[in-house]
Amino acid sequence: MTVTVRPSVVPILWYQRPRDAIDWLCRALGFEALMVVDDGDGGVMHSELRFGDGAIYVVGPPRDGMNGASPRGVNGRNTQHVHLNLAEGLDAHCAQARAEGAAIEREPTDQPYGDRVYTCLDPEGHSWSFGQPVKAMSVAEMAEATGHRIDTPGAHG
Amino acid sequence: MMRPTIVPAVFYKDPIAALRWLEKAFGFEIASLITDGEGRLAHSELTYKGGALNVGGEWEGPIVGPARMRSPQTVEGINTQFVRIHLDDGLDDHCERARAAGARIVDEPTDQFYGSRTYRALDLEGHVWNFSQEVRVVSGEEMEKATGLKIHTSLSEVGS
Repeated sequence: MTVTVRPSVVPILWYQRPRDAIDWLCRALGFEALMVVDDGDGGVMHSELRFGDGAIYVVGPPRDGMNGASPRGVNGRNTQHVHLNLAEGLDAHCAQARAEGAAIEREPTDQPYGDRVYTCLDPEGHSWSFGQPVKAMSVAEMAEATGHRIDTPGAHG
Repeated sequence: MMRPTIVPAVFYKDPIAALRWLEKAFGFEIASLITDGEGRLAHSELTYKGGALNVGGEWEGPIVGPARMRSPQTVEGINTQFVRIHLDDGLDDHCERARAAGARIVDEPTDQFYGSRTYRALDLEGHVWNFSQEVRVVSGEEMEKATGLKIHTSLSEVGS
């Protein structure tokens, strides 16, 4: 067994039907399931899904005392959202997601900050966005284009 | 700016206070802060050990359809996602720093059967953060023995 992807930040997503979700995320969004740990009761205690050098963990169904819920269980509310940065192929990615039943909420559109972006909801209502750089822009150009003030305290030099 | 492939966005009622707290408690660094004409937070990016996350306020709108972005505080403490952060070292010190900043430590640092040492904390608005540091390499076989669970590396091994 090789579990080679260990990014420093990994979102853990709650699903009512985690096995269906893993299957769907692989078919529709291009994830690869590296590991699925049964909870012995039909659920998934832990799983690791890879996309490029990024990863997500899918778990569920939510049990009492876990503080977790699928958006489907809380009227579509999401306490987090997942964004994926694609190197290329954003429109084809969107077409694949749509073909597998994703609800496309924002069609692929060039954004003023230089990325082409689409957003969708998965079958349990988790909100996803996908971006691909289409135009390299400086911070000053982004500020100009968006009308927002942009501070970058972490940038050096 | 380096862009990790997967970046979670975490929603707060008071995102500015959250940013300050995440810096102090967990050591995250603010890489960019975007504010609108009225000084409200529009977008922010935090980095930590090569990873990144966004912090934002509660919102909803046509670009996310029927989804509504909410703090756990407005969903009775429920989280639809948790965040896992992998540390190379210093997990226990990290936990003490978080505790001193007011994090609620719901699982103290503990060695897990899968070879990691982990702790779990709730932040000021109830987001669940899992911190993990690898302390031992464990094979899948060992894990199955330790837990009595089946560990699969492909869905095709799993009946539906």
